[in-house]
Amino acid sequence: MPTRLWNLLCNLKLAIWLASVATVLTMAGSIVMIKYPKTFGSIDQMILADWFARFGQARPGLSWWLWLVAGAVLLLGLNTLCCFFDWLLRIRARWRKSGEYLIHLGFILCLGAFVWGSLAGSRSEGNAIRVGESLPLAGLLPGHALRLDTFEPVFVGGQFSDMRSTLTLLRDGRELRTEVIRLNHPLTEGDLIVLPATFAQEAEGFRCDSPQGSIELRPGSVLRLPDGRVLRVLRFFADVRRGGDGRIYPVGDEVNNPAFELELLHPQDGPWRGWYLLREGLPAPLTAAGIQLQPREPLLRAISVLTINRDPGAELAKIGGILMGLGVALALLSFYAKRRRGDRPELD
Amino acid sequence: MSPALTTVLLSAAFAAYLGATLLYLGHLKWRRPGLAQAALVTVSSGLALQTTVLLARWLAAGYLPVTNLFSTLFFFSWALAACYLYFELRYRIRATGLFVLFLNLLLLGAALPRDPAIKPLIASLDTPLFTLHIICSFVGYAFFAMAFSLGVLYLLQQRLGTDLFPELPLLRKLNEEAIFLGFVLFTLCMIFGAIWAFVAWGYWFSWNIKSVWSFIVWLFYAGMCHAKFIKRWQGTGYAWLSIAGFGVVLFTYLGIGLLLSSNHPLD
Ligand code: HEM
Repeated sequence: MPTRLWNLLCNLKLAIWLASVATVLTMAGSIVMIKYPKTFGSIDQMILADWFARFGQARPGLSWWLWLVAGAVLLLGLNTLCCFFDWLLRIRARWRKSGEYLIHLGFILCLGAFVWGSLAGSRSEGNAIRVGESLPLAGLLPGHALRLDTFEPVFVGGQFSDMRSTLTLLRDGRELRTEVIRLNHPLTEGDLIVLPATFAQEAEGFRCDSPQGSIELRPGSVLRLPDGRVLRVLRFFADVRRGGDGRIYPVGDEVNNPAFELELLHPQDGPWRGWYLLREGLPAPLTAAGIQLQPREPLLRAISVLTINRDPGAELAKIGGILMGLGVALALLSFYAKRRRGDRPELD
Repeated sequence: MSPALTTVLLSAAFAAYLGATLLYLGHLKWRRPGLAQAALVTVSSGLALQTTVLLARWLAAGYLPVTNLFSTLFFFSWALAACYLYFELRYRIRATGLFVLFLNLLLLGAALPRDPAIKPLIASLDTPLFTLHIICSFVGYAFFAMAFSLGVLYLLQQRLGTDLFPELPLLRKLNEEAIFLGFVLFTLCMIFGAIWAFVAWGYWFSWNIKSVWSFIVWLFYAGMCHAKFIKRWQGTGYAWLSIAGFGVVLFTYLGIGLLLSSNHPLD
């Protein structure tokens, strides 16, 4: 019985059958994928295990083919593995097929790597990070964080072309290394890969004209007035709304109805704290204190939006790919030599 | 190279392939070896013209221009002509090339009316992985197209049994060789594509429709690399598989770009 099972698993016809079944099912499945973008649209945004947990299980009527494809391909992998071992056992007589069997080994490794990454990897999109800020990678690479040092969108002929983010990888607060990432040039560390996805700009304050000249006001800015008073910027919001209760509520990130929360300190008087809605003009206590501000333009800060993925199988896939590449090269070189020798086994 | 000169040279190449087709047809009718010889020279000059245009465009652009439908059709046609010439010089297949030439006329004919202007390379394509991925993909496609033509001819020859075409065992051998070479190149195409996907998107296998169909193409031809060892699939079966496989290739190359949307846009 074990011999029969082994022979079946080493059988070339089984391989052709499994490859055909996987091919036809994937063809049919690809149509389902296009027809149901709500179910399949996010399949690349997460690892396959997560996709199955969130979408596949909820729509078994749409995802059943994927189980079958997975089954056929995994069986094909097992089939290939057995075939490979079968060859290894007879390598003395069949060493001329090394190229072919490197292809087989490469396929097995890539398949294994895919399964590994689909079960144990992770994908995370839309990680916004502002210049100067750090992003802890707690769930991805414990103890590590990424800091965005600079960000620069690249425009060629007025058209957006690329984006350069200078990232520093930190471990326990210590700098490990700094790299500039851009399209096709990610940062990798172990099984972690960090890529630029897109960018955004955010207003963090306003440039204003004052009797002292042009000044930049953002949270933390301090304006010292000649009479010893001090104006401090506590908060800034790009868009606010005044509620029925008279309080100020932030409503969005677009610069629409910007507002500063300010504090005016004086050595003698008690402090004043209140809101300056730029569209409404300076509040009375500030004009009474002789403050003059003329808002000019928002101060923009870049946000780099990163994709941060982990794929523990990536290294294995790389080895598989290299073996497969070497295998096809070797098989190509030996193809004609074998033909000359009349080496065309007709197995049937 | 100006778009106008490109069009002129490519029209000349088209005329050369058309001339070669007519010469081969003449060879079929009158059986004059001189006609086949002239056809070979004509195909070679067509390929030389196309190679000149390709190199000039590559130099001018600073990258291999294969980023829109015009340039991929043109590159596919160049690869197919080169592939045919390889088989012709190696095996003297003569009028066997008729089908390949018909196919080539279709490809180049479809490219000619399109805009040959070279656009600046967008940053996401600015990597040698892209160039390698595309070269291997289209040269692989060219071998699959060659196998398709050989498959059609095999089936024809089975009915006709004429001495104008190579005998069935040779046709079978050529077909198997074309499939094997196509598979080798397509495997390299998949490897470069996977590495590129990894550095561009952070994952090396995508469920995007074009990637899925490329995997289908690869799996199909991997299956074919084995089917030749099974008696029942040798010869006739292999010819039919080559025809079906090329259908899958065409759908992957053109069908998806034209019918569906994907992140492998053509035009
Ligand atoms: C997707 C998986 C596989 C791929 C990509 C693959 C690829 C290849 C390639 C490219 C060749 C060379 C063909 C030629 O010389 O023209 C080959 C040959 C072969 N493969 Fe596979 N194969 C796969 C799975 C399998 C499996 C599962 C088996 C075993 C059941 C198998 C058994 C063989 C055998 C026996 C040969 C012939 C080697 C020889 O004697 O020349 N393959 N394979």
